[in-house]
Amino acid sequence: MMAKVGAKSTHTKIKGLTRREFVGTVGTAGAVAAGAAVAGFPAIVQAADPVRSVGLGVSIINEIQGRASKDLGFPVRGQALGYGAMFGKMLNQNDQYEVAEGYYNDFDVMVPAKVWQPIDTKRIKEWDKVTDLAKTGKLTPESNEGQGDAPFRHLWVDASGNRVRGPSRYITALPGWHNADSLGYNPDETGRKIESWAELFSPDFKGKVALLNVPQIGVMDAAMGVEALGLMKFGDKGNMTKKEIDFLIDFLIKKKQEGHFRAFWETFGQSVNLMVSGEVVLESMWSPAVTAIKAEGVKCIYAFLKEGMRGWHGCLSISAKTTGKRLDQAYEYINWWLSGWPGAFVARQGYYMSVPENVKKHLEPAEWDYWYEGKPAAKELPDPFGTIIVPKGEIRDGGSYWNRFKNIAVWNSLMNENDYLVKRWTEFLNA
Amino acid sequence: MQQPAPTQHSGLIGIQPVPSGAIEAARKIRREAGFPVGWLITPAALWLLIFLVVPLLSIITFSFWTSTGSGMTPDLTLQYYGDYFYNEGFFEAEHRNYLKPSVFIRTLGSTFYFTIVVMALCLLLGYPIAYFLAMQVQSFKWQLALFLVCMVPFWTSYLIRAVAWMPMLGRRGLLNKFLLSIDVIDKPVTFLLYSEFSYTMALVQLYVVLCVGPIFFSLAKIDNAILEAARDMGATPLQIFREIIGPLSLPGVAIGMIFIFVMIMGEFATAVVVYGGKTSTTGTVILNYYAIANYPFAAVNALMLMLSMMIGVVIILKLVDIRKEL
Repeated sequence: MMAKVGAKSTHTKIKGLTRREFVGTVGTAGAVAAGAAVAGFPAIVQAADPVRSVGLGVSIINEIQGRASKDLGFPVRGQALGYGAMFGKMLNQNDQYEVAEGYYNDFDVMVPAKVWQPIDTKRIKEWDKVTDLAKTGKLTPESNEGQGDAPFRHLWVDASGNRVRGPSRYITALPGWHNADSLGYNPDETGRKIESWAELFSPDFKGKVALLNVPQIGVMDAAMGVEALGLMKFGDKGNMTKKEIDFLIDFLIKKKQEGHFRAFWETFGQSVNLMVSGEVVLESMWSPAVTAIKAEGVKCIYAFLKEGMRGWHGCLSISAKTTGKRLDQAYEYINWWLSGWPGAFVARQGYYMSVPENVKKHLEPAEWDYWYEGKPAAKELPDPFGTIIVPKGEIRDGGSYWNRFKNIAVWNSLMNENDYLVKRWTEFLNA
Repeated sequence: MQQPAPTQHSGLIGIQPVPSGAIEAARKIRREAGFPVGWLITPAALWLLIFLVVPLLSIITFSFWTSTGSGMTPDLTLQYYGDYFYNEGFFEAEHRNYLKPSVFIRTLGSTFYFTIVVMALCLLLGYPIAYFLAMQVQSFKWQLALFLVCMVPFWTSYLIRAVAWMPMLGRRGLLNKFLLSIDVIDKPVTFLLYSEFSYTMALVQLYVVLCVGPIFFSLAKIDNAILEAARDMGATPLQIFREIIGPLSLPGVAIGMIFIFVMIMGEFATAVVVYGGKTSTTGTVILNYYAIANYPFAAVNALMLMLSMMIGVVIILKLVDIRKEL
């Protein structure tokens, strides 16, 4: 999960105003003086009323909200925050945004708090095109639903926002970008293919391993490793008992004292630096970090692990405080996310979108084949900003989108024993 | 400690002793002028009240509230103070937590330990720098120039200074390359980065300048005439330092140490960058609990941190009576 990308908050600036928007903005000032002018330019009022959206640097990127503003004719202002700040803002300041670009694993907190309003799927034009991954948990009929906060467990609500077993007309949030996280490694340094989470604790890599320092997520990667080693079988890795947490943390403490871990990273940039500088050879990682490392000329593979991957799923919700025209605009914006263009944008960073059908229309065939179908790149392929990051002939580990999401072992989750987990994690860090 | 004899020349404290009658007169004049000092401090007082006192009071209040998992409700409880101090199984002989202080107290303890170590190193390194600037460099121009050089690290952001250690100390860093090239080692050493060593060193490098400034100023205020007199009377350099320079520079030392103490106790970013997040400070604990919306417990941690800072500052002030020394 892309937590804590961009510790600094950045307001999306909308570059290159179109002539129409420019006229609109200037016109607003004039409109105050001469009320009669308003009638002639209905777009003016829209331009003054932006949709404010908060999220992580995964979905809040100047290019994305800038394009949305252009396509929709009203400004969309994105604010990218670090994970903790995003969480706090979504929960405590729902009058400060219209759209929340959040993650289903926070919904045990967000949904009962009623900070968002139920989204009416009747107002989502392409709801039918959204795949079953978020609706039923099965992207394909033979898929494994996975433990933990899978989107389908948090999706369905009734008209007043209370959870129901789906499907229903109302949802908590519109499914968006997602991925299956795994371990990244430098094949030159490991000397072998990494195919199991157990390798995270292999003595061969002692002192050259890094783990993500977000307790809720780091602990799951560790649990995958411990389970793969056969040391323990977890009832539900997405909701561990105190006993399971104790066993896991005691094991981690032992490993830490042996000097197994080189570092614990918190931001995307750190994970890139660790691998590029040769400090670590194997670490828990997010997909765009792999492309960033490769861009630095260091070999890096995003492993496809036989025990399954750790999934996460981003989504779009609307604040409970949003009404009237702004509500309409918020619906327009979240509908826009299904248009295919944003999905194509995030695809070039290695993420998937809930409407692959629409994304396909906005990707070149070679891009579609590489990113979604898992075929060798027919030619050099760029990242969203135009830098070539995929050489011709390269193939994505783990095969196609459908193959990767067939076997999600566990989804990013918020456990009932979260407080206890954070306490024991603190102990682990201090050991 | 020995007090310098009352002096009749200017320079030591900056002013000559004035007959008490004159002081009274001066006070009267100032009062009669009716300078609206009260109004002048109002903006600052309001500012502090709104942005410091009120938030502080709310932190204290919140620490007694109950977390709901997504926020808090004003149901008063001491639970979070209990969680802070008390570990499950503290009194049970069989338990692994038997008579073991809670992880939060241990975190505060290790934060405190690092702070003390870094303070000591900063003093050891910073004092000679300040001494050199104040005592050895004769021309004022050079003093100022060199003092500004000391401030150069502040021209870049704090984080850049911390991150810059990576290409220096890493496995493939400059230092390892150099040691390899002169055959001191045959494979890169790893203790240079992401270790207690790198953490301590980076903290010292980041904060040492904070004590150079105050020490420099208190050393610069020492009147040369006293030192000359001491030399004339046959005092050895060590005696001069022990009897005159040392005591007179103590206020600067104390102020510098307070700066460093307060900064490092609240530290959380450096541990991530140069220690690879392999330790946690009370600052990171607060962040972690804030991130899971357990605000009351974050508040308890914040208050304990503040309390320990206050105790630390009081101890430093007890050791050195700044008012008297100034």
